[in-house]
This record gives sequence, structure tokens and C-alpha cells, in this order.
Amino acid sequence: MASGKEKAFKVVTIVAVVAILACALWIMANKMGLVQGYDFGAGAYYYADIPGYDEIAKEDVYKTSVPYWVHVVLFLGWGWLMYRLWIWIDKRK
Amino acid sequence: MEKNKSVPEFWGKEDWQAIWIGFIIILLACVAVLTKAFDVSAVKFSTWAVGEAAATKAVPLAQQLGAWAFWRKLIVTVLVLGVLFTLGVKLQGGSVKKYIPAFLVLFVIALVVRFVSAEFTLNRYLEWAFWALLIGLLISNTVGVPDWLKPAIKTEFYIKTGLVIMGFSVLFSNIAKFGLYGLGIAWIVTPIVILFMWWLGTKVFKIDNKPLVITLASATSVCGTSAAIATGAASGAKKDDLSIAISISIIFTILMMVFEPMIIKAAGMTQLMGGALIGGTVDSTGAVVLAGNALGPEAEQAAVLVKSIQNILIGFIAFFVAVFFATRVDRNSEKKVGAGEIWTRFPKFILGFFAASLIASFILQPLCGSGAVKDINTVLDQYKNWAFVLAFTSIGLDTNFKEIAKQMQGGKVLWLYIIGQVFNIALTLFAVWFLLSGVIFDIPVLDLYK
Repeated sequence: MASGKEKAFKVVTIVAVVAILACALWIMANKMGLVQGYDFGAGAYYYADIPGYDEIAKEDVYKTSVPYWVHVVLFLGWGWLMYRLWIWIDKRK
Repeated sequence: MEKNKSVPEFWGKEDWQAIWIGFIIILLACVAVLTKAFDVSAVKFSTWAVGEAAATKAVPLAQQLGAWAFWRKLIVTVLVLGVLFTLGVKLQGGSVKKYIPAFLVLFVIALVVRFVSAEFTLNRYLEWAFWALLIGLLISNTVGVPDWLKPAIKTEFYIKTGLVIMGFSVLFSNIAKFGLYGLGIAWIVTPIVILFMWWLGTKVFKIDNKPLVITLASATSVCGTSAAIATGAASGAKKDDLSIAISISIIFTILMMVFEPMIIKAAGMTQLMGGALIGGTVDSTGAVVLAGNALGPEAEQAAVLVKSIQNILIGFIAFFVAVFFATRVDRNSEKKVGAGEIWTRFPKFILGFFAASLIASFILQPLCGSGAVKDINTVLDQYKNWAFVLAFTSIGLDTNFKEIAKQMQGGKVLWLYIIGQVFNIALTLFAVWFLLSGVIFDIPVLDLYK
């Protein structure tokens, strides 16, 4: 039999789901968040799906003096460190 | 499972097939674009509208269907995908006779999905993955799926192939686009959020379904649907896991796209900081652009810069997830797993995804220029979408509502996403403040008039 805590958790979850869905429907019904002139919305999940993405994401909008290889080394180094941390977390009970 | 023992693994196994099928399509697109000798573009519906006066960019359906180009591209798409997938099924030991009619009907259902999801109002908020799942679920939970259609329901095959094609659009050169600022915001935060959600999901909430936890964590911290598809496939997530992760991500993306800019404005944050926060936390790239735009042009650029770095992360994270699951999760004992065993378990298509990304980034882009790679990706994007639509329609056709409800684990999965997303926002906010507020480092300047 479900305990009081479990019941309360279920009720809170159901309320949250209803509220979230209602809110999303309200946004869609009122066409909120859209931009006139852009032929896409949140439904364009990947950059390649966005019409005219190259005009939106301008080339060389930021210039850095840091060499490219430094970015690569930091990228790989941090990735490796995080992977080790993942294994450590997973080993803990 | 169908097996054809006389066929070498490279040709007969689904993972390897995804690689060579993906690369045949990539090669076709490269030759077509670079030589301009032929057009291999796949069919797509332009935005159309039902009585929508505001849809200035909508192309009337009659005009779309009346153009020969539409039908020519439709035939090309069916031929390219149909021939390659049928060949794959044949080499797997499946029945071509049964597969071809089933594939054609599945393709027609997928065509309906793409038609629906091109409608002006419907495609503003909900991506085709949602409509594919919904239409598939409606069919399977009402009239049911006839036995003769089942040979075409090959979700993993289509997803893996789509991912290899997608790899070509993951351009590693984007890593330095926003210098160390971008790397700090996108790459420092993302893995920490994944690890936090892994710890919360597996240790605190005690969710046994680890592929679901990692799929949801990647969708939350990286970039929604595409990250979910890649890590879901890398971890061997079930179809329901993917449906749940993507559905949650899609719904919350709508909320975050609207409310995040409002809160940022109310908090008086600068455009640069607000945009970077949006780029690091809102899931879909389309929603990132719109939410950034709501704050202003500088915010839009900052959001896009951070998101473009996150898009590179998909391949690396999928790779490490595949290694982690092959070495730590998919084993029955505490014994150390040997290299041979790891190789057997490793999802090989990830190598194809990675190779495609590296070839596009380090060979084709320097040799042929960004413009050519962009044109090739325009062609490939449609094939990737077709493969994913076939996959998600298959998921819908193969799922019932009860199974999905069961996988929600009494609501734990939803709370894992909500808490993970709150943590993601808090940590990204800290990174944005640390790097872009001017308190510690110089504030970067974006040249918006390039």
C-alpha cells in the first residue's frame, strides 16, 4: 500500500504535469515568443533545421587572441577529468 | 533477431551498416554539391498555413504539390533511402519481399508527419519528432499496427543512420567561436550538469533505468532532442526512454523560450549575459535564437555562440557515454572488462558519427570552404530528418501509452528533469556572471555589424 509520502508525491507530480501542459498550451494558443520575420520556432531543434541560420549566426562576430589549440587542449582535458569524475561517482554506493 | 551468418560483420551488422549507409549518403551529397553534376536533395515541405494571414513566408500547398521539383525530390528520397535500407535489411538476413511494401507504407506515414509538422502554427512550437510520435501512437493505440507493416519498424537502424549523417554537420571549428568565454560557459557547465543528474537519478532517486537517466541528462544539459537521440542510441536506451526524454524536453523548451527572457529582463541582466545564459540552458537551437532575439541583437548573437559550442558536444558526449556503458553499465559482474569485450559491446555507429564530424571539420572545410560544407549540410540535413522521422514514427507505432506511463517511474523522471534544469540554470548563471559580468574578466565585445 502506498504511504502518505508516496501519495503526496503523486499528487504534486500530477498537479505539476497539468500546470506545465496548461502553460505550454496557453503559450502556443497566444503565439507567444515568436519573432516576426523568422520562419521557425522552438520546433527547429537543430541549427541545420533553421532557415537562413548563417544570416542569424554571423561569422567572426567575436575575435579571440587565444590560439585554437589551447581551446582543443582545454576541451579534451576537461572532458577527460569529467569522465574520471563520472566513474568515481558511479563507484560510490 | 534476424542474422545472416555468411555476411561479414561490417556488411551485415546494423551498427556497421549505419556507417556505410550514412557515408554513401554523405558521399552522394558531397559529389552532387561540389560537382553540381546532379541534384540529390531530399524532399521537404515548405511552411504552409491554414487561413493564417500572418504566415507571410508560407507557400500554398497547391503551389508546392504542383511543382515538378517536389515530386522529383520525393522519388529521389524514396529511391536513395529505400534502396540503401533494403540492402541493409537483405544483408541482415531479412526478407526483402516483406520489407519493401512495409517500408513504402512507413514512408507514406512519415510523409504525413512531415506534412503536418510543416504547418505554420504547428511547427512554431512542436518539432516533427513530437508529431511523428503522436501520429505513430495514434495508429498503434487505435487501429493497431498490421503484421505486414512490422518488418519496416526498425527504429535503431534509422536512428543510427541518421546520426552518422548528422555527424557531418557537427563542426569542430566552432569550438573557438566565442573564445574561452564560450568554452567556459558551454563546456565547463555541461558535464557537471550531466554528472549531477546521473548522481541524482541513480543514487538519490534510485532509478534503475540508467540509459533513461543519461538520455534525459544529456537532453537537459546539451541541446535537447539531438543530444537525446545521440546519447540514447549510445547507451542503448529503449524506445520509451527516448520518447519520454524528448517529450519532456520539447514541452519545457516552450516554457523556457518564453519565460527565461522575461525573467532576465526583469532582473536587469545585460544582453550579453542574458543571451549567454539562454544559449547555455534553452534546449532547442530554434528556441535559443528566438529567446535571445527577445532580449536584443547582442543577446541573440551571444545565445547563438554558446549554443553552437554546445552542438559540438553531442559527438563527444555520445562517445564517452558509449564507452562508459560498454565498460561499466553493460556488465554482469564486478570483474574488469577486457578490451575485446568492450569492443564487442561498443556501439560502432558512434565511430561513424565521429568520423563524419572530423572529416567535415578538418578535411572538407579547410579544403572546400565553409560555403561548400554549408551547402552539403543543407542536403544532408533533409536525409537526417527523414531517417529520424522514420525512426520516431516507428517508435510511435511500436509503443503503447501504458508502457510510457510505466517508464515515468511514478513521476521521478519528471522531477529529475526539473531539478536538473534548475541546477543547469543556476550553474550557467554563475559561469555567465563569473566570465561576462566584468567583475573578474574583461567583458568581451561582439562585433554585430560584420
